[in-house]
Amino acid sequence: MRIEAHPVLNFERGEKITFFYNDKEVEAYPTETIAAALHAAGVRKLGESPELHRPRGLFCAIGNCSSCFMIVDGEPNMRVCVMKVRPGIRVEEQKGKGVIRT
Amino acid sequence: MKTVEILVIGGGPAGLCAALSASALGAKVLIAERDEMPGGQLVKQTHKFFGSEKQHAGERGIHIGQMLLENAQAEPNIELWTSSCVLSIYEDGVVTIEHAGQHVKVKPERIIIATGAAEKFLGFPGNDLPGIYGAGAVQTLMNVDGVKPAQRVLMVGAGNIGLIVSYQLKQAGVEVEAVIEGSSKIGGYLVHASKIQRAGIPVLIKHTILEAYGDGQVEGAVIAQIDECWQPIAGTERKIACDTICLAVGLSPLTELAWQAGCEVAFIRELSGHVPIVNECLESTVPGIYCAGDVSGIEEASAAMVEGRLAGLCAAVSLSYGGAAAQTLIDDAKQELDELRAGSMGIHIREGLEKMALKSGQPKSEDDTLKSKSFAEIKSTLISDGIATADDIAAILPTPERFAKGPIAIAECFQEIPCNPCVKACKAGAITMPGDINDVPVVNGALCNGCGLCISLCPGLAIVVVDQTYSEDMAIVRLPYEYVPLPVVGTLATGLDREGNALGQFEVKKVTSGGKKNMTYTISLVVPKALAMDVRGVSVV
Repeated sequence: MRIEAHPVLNFERGEKITFFYNDKEVEAYPTETIAAALHAAGVRKLGESPELHRPRGLFCAIGNCSSCFMIVDGEPNMRVCVMKVRPGIRVEEQKGKGVIRT
Repeated sequence: MKTVEILVIGGGPAGLCAALSASALGAKVLIAERDEMPGGQLVKQTHKFFGSEKQHAGERGIHIGQMLLENAQAEPNIELWTSSCVLSIYEDGVVTIEHAGQHVKVKPERIIIATGAAEKFLGFPGNDLPGIYGAGAVQTLMNVDGVKPAQRVLMVGAGNIGLIVSYQLKQAGVEVEAVIEGSSKIGGYLVHASKIQRAGIPVLIKHTILEAYGDGQVEGAVIAQIDECWQPIAGTERKIACDTICLAVGLSPLTELAWQAGCEVAFIRELSGHVPIVNECLESTVPGIYCAGDVSGIEEASAAMVEGRLAGLCAAVSLSYGGAAAQTLIDDAKQELDELRAGSMGIHIREGLEKMALKSGQPKSEDDTLKSKSFAEIKSTLISDGIATADDIAAILPTPERFAKGPIAIAECFQEIPCNPCVKACKAGAITMPGDINDVPVVNGALCNGCGLCISLCPGLAIVVVDQTYSEDMAIVRLPYEYVPLPVVGTLATGLDREGNALGQFEVKKVTSGGKKNMTYTISLVVPKALAMDVRGVSVV
């Protein structure tokens, strides 16, 4: 859910775009990070831990803690809390350690 | 390889101020900022800052960040790289940066490390569930991205971050079930605690979180009271249903680059962990490398800005910029830092800096004025819940004779914090602080004309104006207001007491905007005279 009315802030979000989360089309605004756009769509589980396969969400939102790693356009270990959403990108849950394409 | 006179690592409050002060003296500066947007944590600080005018007190953090960024962008001596992560500092002084998709080498003559800090974590079962965030992360989601991060929140930690983010959650329309705090005292500014109590958010001291539960994401938490040894007291456990748990349990300095560069680092608890040892000019044990802001000890952003300015000046002077006038600027910055740290809330920092001074071989002199200052201890329960007691209020209550003369400002500001915008706000000169900016304000009833300018200018929203002369049995209370929607003149709104309890429906007489930048409204409520000293909040939802 997005904040519509705020006493201090005025959100200028621009034109709506869409991207893909696990092959499902999701609406977003270009001002948002991937993590924020997913939160707005009600998605808080971003991946699974490598060994116990426990669900992982974001923790720091400043690109510091590595909890939010996802696969973006096939590339793993992307810090989606600081990565802006772009039209048409394909974002997938990362299960465990990412595999880097060769 | 690119050469530069001063490389500033980090474009937050400390880094931007360092770049601005150094470039003003003539030095050529490169700022490397990891994020796409410079400003550090200022970009999400929607509340007004404390301190004095020199540190932009009374302005909102977001506006201070914008101003610093615009100044830096307008300065020809500053080059600003964003989305540029500093990777390493080598023994020969070469710094490598990931910049514009390239691995770039830079050789600076001086380095100012202003990398800031990261939020601490807390150990408890279930702490890895999605829905458990650093309080700052939730602040980013809501204030930068405009996304409602949750429906119901449990806040862990009653320091300034925990209190401020709770208030901001409420402003974004999110319910905060409670703020829990392990200590027996509120760690943050009491005015922040009072503000959230008025909004109906309880602050529970001597409480801890035992576990988070939920299937795949947070559905609730188990909290419990703790004893003097911080052990949970059996039988006091209770469940709090919430979809989000925010951890506001302190910050850790981001010192990796300082370690890597060979700066001597020491554990100083009062400064929140391992910090690089710096001297009075904020130079580390590696000549030419300076550290400013949270990286060398966790403090308020106002102090980080002054530290940045100081480091920038010292680095530029060491490159022979500035001449004799620069020394005055350096002395001014040092004095400002002393002033910000002089109050009761600065005790930790002062103790930490004393330890640091010992380690750097520059022990502070015995006649240090800061040490000799005594503080008025808050003895009432205000310190543990942020709710002023009858005794607290009695101490500042105007006389019946003064009430009979017309409206008067009442400053419910009981704690010695570094802040003085109210003094500047009062055109009548009725608000004074006997000593420095750490004193509590005193309202002179003979001079106060009840104009209410101070209401929207107090960063703590701690001042109200009471007019007991409105009519035979009704008084007017003028209150600060920072929520949506706005009350409507002529309609009824709920008056709240200091704990957020509804006292009744009262007529909204006037709604005054604080201005485009101030953004705090003043709401005039018509209340029964007997309730004029009890109504301290207003709600229209």
